[in-house]
Parts: sequence; C-alpha cells; structure tokens
Amino acid sequence: MNKLLVSDIINLNDGIYSLGSKNGNLELVINGNVTIYLEDEEINNINLKLDENSNLFVYDFRNNCHDCHVKIEQNNNSKVHYNCSIQNNGNSNYQIDNNITGDNNESYLSVRTLSHKDDSKITINVKIDEKTKNNIALEDLKGIFDGGSVMIEPNIIALSNEVVANHLTTIGGVDKVSLYYLMSKGIQEFDAKKILLKGFIYSNMDEFIKNMGGDKNA
Amino acid sequence: MLEMTNVNLFINEKKLLENINLKINAGEVHVLMGKNGVGKSSIASSIMGNPNYKVEGSIKYDGQEITNLNIYERAKLGIYLLNQTPMQIEGVTNAEMLRIALSEKTGEAINILKFNKELESICTSLELDKSFIHREINVGASGGERKKVELLHMWMLKPSFIILDEIDSGLDVDALKIVAKSLKEYHEKYHPAILIITHSDTLINTFDNYFVHVLNDHQIVANGSKELAKEVLTKGFKRTSDTFVISEN
Repeated sequence: MNKLLVSDIINLNDGIYSLGSKNGNLELVINGNVTIYLEDEEINNINLKLDENSNLFVYDFRNNCHDCHVKIEQNNNSKVHYNCSIQNNGNSNYQIDNNITGDNNESYLSVRTLSHKDDSKITINVKIDEKTKNNIALEDLKGIFDGGSVMIEPNIIALSNEVVANHLTTIGGVDKVSLYYLMSKGIQEFDAKKILLKGFIYSNMDEFIKNMGGDKNA
Repeated sequence: MLEMTNVNLFINEKKLLENINLKINAGEVHVLMGKNGVGKSSIASSIMGNPNYKVEGSIKYDGQEITNLNIYERAKLGIYLLNQTPMQIEGVTNAEMLRIALSEKTGEAINILKFNKELESICTSLELDKSFIHREINVGASGGERKKVELLHMWMLKPSFIILDEIDSGLDVDALKIVAKSLKEYHEKYHPAILIITHSDTLINTFDNYFVHVLNDHQIVANGSKELAKEVLTKGFKRTSDTFVISEN
C-alpha cells in the first residue's frame, strides 16, 4: 500500500488509506467506511471529523512518540475504532479528545503503551454532550513499564443519561506469571519477555499487521 | 528419573510440604491424591521450579540436582507441567510460542511446512479446531479447549516427565475421553514418566498400572498401588493421629 502524504484538509471517502503528513498535521473529514493506517512518528496533530453514517477504523503504530494530540468529532450515527500502540524510549505525551455531540454514535478507543525509558503519558477525554441519545463510549487502555514509567488518565464526561460508557485501564510491569508460563515451555527468560512485550504492543494491531503485510515476529 | 528427598516447601515462611520423599522412574505413572488444600499442587510447583516457593532438601532429575535450576532450565530437561487452569497470553499465538520453544530446544531453524503439518495432525487427533494454531494462547478458549491446547503443546515439545495437575477438573465427559486417550497414546509412544494429581478415577483408569501416593497435612501418608486409589475414591480420606486410614464412612 502506498503512503499518502497529506498537508491540507482532505476528505476521505470509502477506502483504506496509509497516511503520513508533510507538516506534522492531519486534518481529515471522514465519509463512509474508512480505514486509516498511520506509521508516522512525526504526526503530532490529528483532527478527525466524522460525517453522518461514517465508520472509521484507525491504526496508529509508533515506535516513539514525543507529543501527539488527537481530536475526534462525532455528530450523528457514526462509529470510530481508534487503536493506538506506542513503544517509547523517552518522554512521551499522547492525548485523545473525543467529542460526541449528537445521537447514535459509538466510540471505541484502545491504547497500548510500553515505556522503556522516561515517562509515557496517555490522556483520554471522551465527552458526550447533554440531550444526546443512544451513544456508546468504551476506553480500553493498557500500559506496561519496562525501564520507564507509565501514566494513564482515562476520562469520560457523560452529560446525558442515555449513554453506555465504560473504561478499562491497567498499568503494570511484565506479568511474572505469563513469563513463567512461557519459560515452562522451554523459552528462556529474555526471549519470553521479548515475545510477551511484542504480543502486548501488537495486541490491538491485528488488522494493521495483516494489511501492512508485516510479521510481528520479524 | 525424578527423586525428591526430604523436601520441605515454603511460601513466605509458611510450610506447605514437609519431608516429601518421592521416586518416579522413567515410563512410570504415579498418582497423587489428597483432600483440597493439602499441598498436591505445591508438589507440582516444587518440581517445576516455581520461583515463589522456597525449597529445602533435594530434587534430582536423571541424577542431576535440579533444586536450584529455574523453570526454563527444568523445562529444557524435559519436565512439563499441565495446569488445571492454563493461563491465557494476549498477543502470543500457539504457533509463535511453539516455534520459539522448539528452535531453542533443537538449536535449529524450524521447518515450517513440517511444523504446520504436525500441528494440524495433532489438532485433528485432539478434535481441536485448527484455527487454534494461530490463535493467541488460550485467549477466548473454553476450559476444555485450554486443556487440549496444553496437550497440543505437550505433543509438540515432547517432554519426558509430565505433571498433570487436576487437568480433569471442569472437563465434560467427551473432552475427558479425548484428553485421556491422547495421554495414553503419548505414554505408549514416548514412555514419559507421568505424575497425575487428581480427585477422580476417569483419568487414572486410562493407565493399566500406576503407583499411588496419598498426601495429608502436607506430608505423604500412604503409598500403594491402584488398590489404594480405589479405596480412597470409594471411602474417602481420614487422618487419625499420625496414621493415614481409609474412612469407613
């Protein structure tokens, strides 16, 4: 898949896109069924506006992220699956602001972060406006520290009663029980840890791996 | 093959096992029975080398002292633990894990064609959907499927000493039959030593001959043959003073 370098506001219609940015900004209007693959560590501003009846999948995979701010706007009858996976070797700050202003929207935000050095900070803000109906907002946020630190701030502000909102947040080191399980199969500790961390960082990126023709074991 | 001599096992200074002496020769099947909480799974953990436990005494495998070896080193020697609740590992597939484990074991690159064929053939015999090969380890799998996945690992890794820690718990009749059949076939083909921890006779009846050990109050209190297992299973456990007796009730 060829990467499209974007500098202005663009409209994306039905399709699958691999995107980069010329100036660090991405401003997209989504119309229809759209899948976006991002693998550009230099993108630090992403604005996504979903038209009615749009369905957006985003896969944002980064080996390092200094600062990135994502804004997602949903009005009526839209669905977003935003999957982000970040592996850091230095200070990092990744923030998603998702505003839901209308009815019948679904928002699924999944973030994995692995910190090898310094501080990795993830902030997720989902706001559902008052007088809106039938919206769903789910946050699935996981962090592992392996030499660095992880801070995750999950926020859901639901100003309407007619909403299903939930968030799952976990932070920890490499799971010792999983490590011992793999070692009990005859895999030495170093390799066991490596495949556990790789598995973690790719755990919300299945479609990304398939479509980029990649192999997470490579 | 495996020899435990005067083994005491502790977790956070709490004694879990006391003066355990157990000898299991190659090809033999041994059954460990006992009430809940007496320390049966602790024996499995001490043999596998769970680092959360502190061991006193001696555990030897094929004449080699393994008391201070870690889990990986013991697995490399051919010791394999099949747990009653196999854990799930997100993001790591069965094929990926087995490929790495096998290449570490053999020191050679894996022939993918042969590897896949073998996995598919084992799945068929275990009546396990082939999609499990490339699925994450035990993620979203039922209790029965998890046990079968662990057996899939066992057939691929070909251990010489197998510990089955209550793997019959939570299995339906059909799944239990498949698991028992698979274990018998493996035993007939590779002649491993097997230590079965169980509360029921379904799995142990798969084997013609076996030794039985009864654990009570963290010690082995009775040793015998399949007759002892029959008595325990029909009459239950009872411990009076320092003697193990079969309950009359």
